[in-house]
Amino acid sequence: MPDDFRTLLALTLVFAPLSLLSIGGGASLLAEIEHQSVGVHAWTTEREFADLFAISRAAPGPGTMLSTLIGWKVAGVAGALTATIALYLPSSLLVYAAARLWGRWRGSVWHSAVERGLAPIAAGLILAGGIAVLRVSPGGPAVWLAATVATAVILW
Amino acid sequence: MTGPTIGTHRTNPVQLSAIFGAFFRLGIVSFGGGTAGWLYREIVGRRHWISDTEFLSGAALGRLMPGSGGVNLTVQVGQHLRGGSGALAAVLGLLSGPLAIILALAAGYARIEQSVMLRAVLDGVAAAAIGLTFATGLKLVRFRLASAGPLAVTAATVFSVGVLRWPMMPVVLCLAPVSIGLALLDR
Repeated sequence: MPDDFRTLLALTLVFAPLSLLSIGGGASLLAEIEHQSVGVHAWTTEREFADLFAISRAAPGPGTMLSTLIGWKVAGVAGALTATIALYLPSSLLVYAAARLWGRWRGSVWHSAVERGLAPIAAGLILAGGIAVLRVSPGGPAVWLAATVATAVILW
Repeated sequence: MTGPTIGTHRTNPVQLSAIFGAFFRLGIVSFGGGTAGWLYREIVGRRHWISDTEFLSGAALGRLMPGSGGVNLTVQVGQHLRGGSGALAAVLGLLSGPLAIILALAAGYARIEQSVMLRAVLDGVAAAAIGLTFATGLKLVRFRLASAGPLAVTAATVFSVGVLRWPMMPVVLCLAPVSIGLALLDR
């Protein structure tokens, strides 16, 4: 029992700080998660880590399910929940506070100017994100073609 | 500047169960990443809970702050609709489906590794998700097409972050003041 607790605590101590360091999306965390899981804590072997990474990409949802899988590997369902909460809660609380503060100024001139000013940048970031995923996708030209067709079909 | 969506949800708040349900659906269909594209389709396109501009500013803030851009955007939409409980319902809805699916996948992962067929399916799904991302971006650009300034800002963002692969943070910090200035002048 104390051992289980210590494992869950270790998962929390690894993933909660990463939550606040992951600027620019979960992909920036990959190297650090690998270092902690394989090198520091020996939660997985290199081979298992690569397998878990492949699985994390096969599931739906917002990207960073890798931590969930590492938690599951180390401590079952309790580990999965602990790692997931540790990775998402700190950053979510920060965004929640920012959104609340931001909502308070709704209706003011500069609130609207900032919203309208960020809009074209966000549209650009969404397109750039598509390019980035396309670049790392393992499928090659077939995936490029399929993605182009999908874009056209959805737009029509 | 009060959009119609804002007025609607104030007088007739969205049910927490509806928020949970919408984001649950979003979570389990958003294969291949690109949560923003799926969220736009489900929350803006289908349910009209927020406006295009609110979606875009939320997406920008979501990416600039630490954490997953998709989860961050979800927190903001939930907060906007129903405050703290709305944000909680949205995030739980978004994550619970994928969490269950990924644990089921992990339980049988030896077989997944060997399945060429499944890998081909996943490539196809990824391609569709990329297509959805591009389509969402292009649709939202067209919505701004009226003036040249915002269009130039979008083009500069795509080129520097997408093509040249410059880091996002400094690019946004340089472009944001320009773009906000343009928005102030354009009132």
